[in-house]
Amino acid sequence: MDDKHLSEKESLALITQMINKAKDSYHDTGIGAMMWGAVIAICSLVKLSEIQFGYNLPFDIYWLTLLAIIPQIFITIREKKERKVKSYDDRYMDYIWLAFGISIALLIFIVNVIFQNFHPMAVSFRELGGEPGFKLMEYITPLFLLLYGMPTFITGAACRFKPMLWGGLFCWACCIITLFTTFRVDLLLTALSAVMAWFIPGLIMEKEYRLYKKETQMNV
Amino acid sequence: MFKDLDPILHSQLRLAVVSLLISVKEAEFTFLKEKTNATAGNLSVQIQKLKDAGYIDVVKQFKDNYPQTICRITKHGIKAFEDYVNSLQSYLGPK
Repeated sequence: MDDKHLSEKESLALITQMINKAKDSYHDTGIGAMMWGAVIAICSLVKLSEIQFGYNLPFDIYWLTLLAIIPQIFITIREKKERKVKSYDDRYMDYIWLAFGISIALLIFIVNVIFQNFHPMAVSFRELGGEPGFKLMEYITPLFLLLYGMPTFITGAACRFKPMLWGGLFCWACCIITLFTTFRVDLLLTALSAVMAWFIPGLIMEKEYRLYKKETQMNV
Repeated sequence: MFKDLDPILHSQLRLAVVSLLISVKEAEFTFLKEKTNATAGNLSVQIQKLKDAGYIDVVKQFKDNYPQTICRITKHGIKAFEDYVNSLQSYLGPK
């Protein structure tokens, strides 16, 4: 491209072409999405196997989610360093996922407080010979799936990335289903939701990113 | 009545740079070079002209010991781009 003067039609065509090029300029590496999809799926499946086969790990498997924050920080820093362009959406996306993280932490705290109050009541009820028909654990999973769906759906819609949009919808569908299923099925559906919402979209993103890198390297 | 087209924007490479910058918050020099397929020398000259006109801000800094040039469009640049597009539309026929 050089410094030549353009006709009016050529100018409008160039503006459209450049705006489209700018829109298509950012490709996520997908590593973060894949990692979180795998971590949540592993946690849910390990918990399920603990219940199914009657054993207990010496630690709560969900601590793995806290541990995963460390590589996520490195991934975020590296991705931001590598980016040659900042879009107006970036800041909003960061805030949406930060709000999601805070909401999940708050939900875990709320569930623990409810359990601490509910558990003695359930024990007393059982000691009195009652058959507790209400199992609180079976109503917790839908709340998590409700939250999983929200940022996933927004990201998919805002970035026009259909696998994530469908992943968000899948989380919400599972959110309704898990209201009526046992805790074991809930864990299975949580693992499946994590794979559909994050792991598979992450794999697709990673493939697209590698293609984009290859194309740009060929053009240089 | 036809408005005169802004001579700063009515050039292929400068218009391409401003069109790219209007869509993003900020972009590195290498990004602009990659998208416009321009040579580094020519792009530098055109960026300097846009900067002198007050249409873009240019920040030069170091990233991992390498020089980095970041460009972003100014309010004045946005207004000039909008006026330019309106003028083009008036040339090409009634809206």
